[in-house]
Amino acid sequence: MSMKGKRERYLPLFFVLPTVIIILIISIFPLIYSFWLSLCEWEIGIGADRVFVGLRNYARLLTDSRFLNSLMNTGRVLFFGVGAQFALGLGVALLLNRSFRGKNLVSTLFLLPMMVSPVVVGCIWRIIYHYRYGPLNYMLNMAGLSSVNWLGSTDMAIYSIILADIWEWTPFMMIVLLAGLQAIPDELYEAARVDGANRWQIFTYMLVPLLRPVMIIVILIRIMDTFKIFDLVFLITFGGPGQASETVSFYNYLTGFRHFSMGYASSMAYFQLAIIVIIANIFLRVWRRREEA
Amino acid sequence: MFKKIFVLVIALVFLTSAAYAATTTLTVVGDAGHNMRPFEWYEGDFRELYGVELIQVGVPFGLLYESQRIEFIGETGAYDFMIVYPKFLAEFAANGWLYPLDDFIQEKDPNFDDIIPAYLEFYCKYKGEVFALPYDGDVLSLYYRLDLLENEEEKAAFQDKHGYELKVPETWDEFLDVAEFFTRKAGETLAGEVLNRDFYGTAYYGVKDQLWGWWAAMFASHGGVYFDEETFEPGINSEAAVKATEIMMEFHNYSPPDVLAYGYEELKDVFLEGDCFMVMQWPCIGKKGADPAESRIVGKIGATHVPGVRVNGEVYFRAPMPAGRVLAIAADAEDPWKAYQVIWHLSVVTSLDDVSTHLTGLDPYRFSHFEHPEAYGMFEEIRDAEIYLAGLRQNLENGFPELTLPGTVEYLDTLGVELTNAIVGAKEPQQALDDAASAWRDITNRLGFEAQKAFYVELVEGWREAGLWD
Repeated sequence: MSMKGKRERYLPLFFVLPTVIIILIISIFPLIYSFWLSLCEWEIGIGADRVFVGLRNYARLLTDSRFLNSLMNTGRVLFFGVGAQFALGLGVALLLNRSFRGKNLVSTLFLLPMMVSPVVVGCIWRIIYHYRYGPLNYMLNMAGLSSVNWLGSTDMAIYSIILADIWEWTPFMMIVLLAGLQAIPDELYEAARVDGANRWQIFTYMLVPLLRPVMIIVILIRIMDTFKIFDLVFLITFGGPGQASETVSFYNYLTGFRHFSMGYASSMAYFQLAIIVIIANIFLRVWRRREEA
Repeated sequence: MFKKIFVLVIALVFLTSAAYAATTTLTVVGDAGHNMRPFEWYEGDFRELYGVELIQVGVPFGLLYESQRIEFIGETGAYDFMIVYPKFLAEFAANGWLYPLDDFIQEKDPNFDDIIPAYLEFYCKYKGEVFALPYDGDVLSLYYRLDLLENEEEKAAFQDKHGYELKVPETWDEFLDVAEFFTRKAGETLAGEVLNRDFYGTAYYGVKDQLWGWWAAMFASHGGVYFDEETFEPGINSEAAVKATEIMMEFHNYSPPDVLAYGYEELKDVFLEGDCFMVMQWPCIGKKGADPAESRIVGKIGATHVPGVRVNGEVYFRAPMPAGRVLAIAADAEDPWKAYQVIWHLSVVTSLDDVSTHLTGLDPYRFSHFEHPEAYGMFEEIRDAEIYLAGLRQNLENGFPELTLPGTVEYLDTLGVELTNAIVGAKEPQQALDDAASAWRDITNRLGFEAQKAFYVELVEGWREAGLWD
């Protein structure tokens, strides 16, 4: 190969190299290193050495009732939180997919919760939920209802987190689904109406199939986000009372950065990653199968 | 003329540069808020007296430990000196993260004879070596509504109901009687007035990180210990622990419904807003309670020792000593001597001013702090300050030391979770405590059984020397 040919062949690689190196350092290396850590016991708080323990940390996960509880709580956020966000987001998107005066203003107002910093959201909701002075209980009392123990009840605390999460992230569902709805050509609606389809039939037989890829992606994104839910838990309940509102990512934080058991924390992170990958694969397969059909 | 001005300017520049060069910038980290105020108040003094320019880093109360530990582990040298919670001092010192102060102490005396032994021995020392100077002496005391206790109508009603006189509860049985008696719903009458919101007999710190401290008052007074010294078996599922948990469960019934979400602020507020009859609290509540800006019950607060159990006619009580604060210097501090001078200043020169004001959360730790009731200017009368200090002192003499083993956060966090399970009825007390004990065994084995045991035995010896362990 001539000098020029070599240069043309390797020059692009040379340009890409810095990016590759950076990715290797900040992404691939930590990924591999943390996997290695997940196979070790490493109590850095006492300055102990790393000891290879194989899959023992993973086995411990399966018998750790606190971890299983956090997994259950994450499942609750997924099922109730993401479920409600999807239902509400779709409803609002359908409403906003019509022409009316002030539509832009209303759309922008709907988006506001998503634009607020999660830390601020957490702090605000902690005040809203205050048992004696919170505006939520105040309004309930005004309506003749009893105060709800939003933060001090082991049964209620996780649902308080879910409610705040719904408030914050429904706009995200709404905006993505609205974009999907607006991409559907008007001609299809007209054709359906000409064929005699009512609103329900248009929704179930036309909109849902056409929106399915968008729905799958937006739900998948929220599922991944839910596994990372931390800020709201940290700020609103700190996982309490007791362990009542601990989610996987919050328990992972406690294990890694308060108990400083780095090996166990790494195994928890990998377990979490495995679940997300499995869920993502299921969703993507369903999507592909539908596409192929 | 021009020449003179030129020389003057040059001299000025030189002097300014020299002054600047003599100043060392040191970074201090502590729990943000009222406990870091002294660093702001005396900033000018530190600059003038010791040539120290301070950079203050405040982190939330519950996150101080991990913020410090992360920087230590990463060897970042981010902090030169810091507020440390004593329960972590041993861990930090054992890892070589703190600067030993014995040499400095020879040069600049922190007047150790004046420090209450408990605060010196297990707040500031590790293996006999001094690693910190005290900054805040914490111990739980019982604060109650003096006005309600002295109300004739309430006294008569209590006598009718319980058959004995309404008085400051000294035992847990009396405590529960009084707490139940004063728990009222909105619309009911309290001291002749109709309540417009619920009133509670008591309240406690319900968040899991410090919940153990309130439980420990019951646990320790029933003879509970953290571990068996011989076998190093956890003592937190003993008979004493079960009894303590049962009391705590009843205690819970007379507390606000959301008490399990209560940290320091909420517990302070419920009492100072006049919504609760009595609380076990850190000493600062007595001072803040005398400040009209923070309290609706000024002049109505009594202070005494925490309740206990009656043994041979005498009340045996143990007052837990959760939290507290000391000032320590990082092993890799830029200028340890200058840092020492600053912490010495705070622990010696300004300490009385800092513990006797309601503007900080700092509490007495020197004998001299108890000898000057007149310094506690927030109390309307010196007598009130004397009552406050006497209550505090009673508790100090019967303090129950905080666990300071490596892994303390995990031990106490696990205990807090299981205590919550028992309080809300998710588990039977014995089951919850057995589960906590099992978790403690796991933690011990992970951190090294022999090392942890040796550490504990040494701790207990220190507690005995300080007269706080049988």
